[in-house]
Amino acid sequence: MRKGALKKKQRQLEELHLDRREALGELVLGMFVQGNWDEAIMSRGAAEVREVAEELNALAAPPAAPADSGEHDLAPTGEHTAEHSMPETGEHTGTHVIAEPGMPETAEHTQEHAVPATTPAVTEPGPKKPETGKPGSDSPAATAESAPPKAGTPKPDTAKPDTGKEDPAKAVAAAATAAPKPPAPAAPGTPAPVAVDGKEEAEPQQKLSELDLLEEKIGKSESQARTAAEAARASTAADSRTELSAITREIEADRTKLTSTLSTASARIADAEKRAVAAEAKLARESAANREAAAGWVRSQAAEIEADAALAAEIAADPDGSPAAGADAGPRQAELEARIRTLETSLEAEKASKIEVLTIAESRLKAIEESAREAEKRVEEAEASLSEAGTAPVSVEVAPGIVTEAEAREAAVVWLRGQISALRQEISKGEASDKKGGT
Amino acid sequence: MGLFGGGKQSGRERRAMKDHLVELDELRRKQLRDLGAMTVEMAEAGRFDRERLSDQAREVVGIDREADLIARGLEEGLTLEELEDLARSDDEPATDPGK
Repeated sequence: MRKGALKKKQRQLEELHLDRREALGELVLGMFVQGNWDEAIMSRGAAEVREVAEELNALAAPPAAPADSGEHDLAPTGEHTAEHSMPETGEHTGTHVIAEPGMPETAEHTQEHAVPATTPAVTEPGPKKPETGKPGSDSPAATAESAPPKAGTPKPDTAKPDTGKEDPAKAVAAAATAAPKPPAPAAPGTPAPVAVDGKEEAEPQQKLSELDLLEEKIGKSESQARTAAEAARASTAADSRTELSAITREIEADRTKLTSTLSTASARIADAEKRAVAAEAKLARESAANREAAAGWVRSQAAEIEADAALAAEIAADPDGSPAAGADAGPRQAELEARIRTLETSLEAEKASKIEVLTIAESRLKAIEESAREAEKRVEEAEASLSEAGTAPVSVEVAPGIVTEAEAREAAVVWLRGQISALRQEISKGEASDKKGGT
Repeated sequence: MGLFGGGKQSGRERRAMKDHLVELDELRRKQLRDLGAMTVEMAEAGRFDRERLSDQAREVVGIDREADLIARGLEEGLTLEELEDLARSDDEPATDPGK
């Protein structure tokens, strides 16, 4: 179970290490792409990678140091070497005790060496040995006997307070590796079994808490590394993506704006076209009505003038003025004078009516001119709206129609003016003939 | 629509492009890890050799460019020949921001 957890953590650390290396690579790539090298940032990233690498090494190191395992405290084989009673730092090797008298030159003291001296040595300074770190000052028997009580203590800290070199992670790892090997069954003859049981109870709790701490630390580091990797990836990819999306959005906005402008312009064009067509139709109707009215009026005037002319000719060819009519001269003269007066009166009335008609025609002409001006104004407004819409081709299409309308109006006005002047001439001619007739 | 599009991309070509894209992604990650490891070594040595870092980064940039090309081929449905033509047409002297 613990081995599995350790392996899992090791795997996580390896992945974290790879991730951090990749993130650092992304960082350096970003610097290369931007041409902006920042050695401080690179050093920081490298330090983060190194930190993970060190943790990984610390986790992987303990299995490679079996010499410091728990079996030293209680060798299953019953063989105690010189190192067994030494601190776990390994600073004290068996050579230290070689100088001691009574020790074998091989520096190996087996269980047998200690057996003869057990009884006196147990009461001697056994537990204090680790503090001095000099097991050579004791007899081999004392060291051999002191091992079990040391193993029985709840914490190995008391045995190695002066070393101060052990990394907590290493200590945890060492404890973890030492734990699976309970020495109790290996030394049935020694008092160790009872003490070993106590150790078994205390050690797992400590190891578990240390493992929890380590796990928490690894999780924290992993999340930091992920964040860094994400940031690095984002820094390289985000620039181009952001730019691309901004351009796309801008294009979309422009397209939408253009579409709305075009639709507005087309609506305005359609409206202007409608108004132009309506104005053209109205103008055509008015022109036709005016022409018809003018023609009718001219026809009636011509008929009246013809009638007047016929009357004048009749008067001129009348035989009343001949000398042969001497007998009826008096009443006929009176009748003629009465008729002439009637004719003069009718002529005066006709003249007055003509003048009235002329006045009406002039006022109508003015109204027509006014309406022509208004039509021109409307045409100008339509042209202005078309130019606002900014659609040159359409304005080119619409303009000729509008120009034709204006020209038609102008032609109608000119024609009416001509008609009026012709009428005036006719009237003046009639007056002249009246004067001639009167004289 | 892209510049090409005359031919039709076959399923085999599409698969090949996708596979190549995956390979390129793996290669890119490996190159980035190498770049990170190189940076760590240089940081430990206390000196950053920008030329070596730039060389390594340039390789990653090349991989990125190739991946972009393949992605474009997949997106626009280009055949391998068209993609090759496109790669040749795009094969201009690239700017080197690292220097």
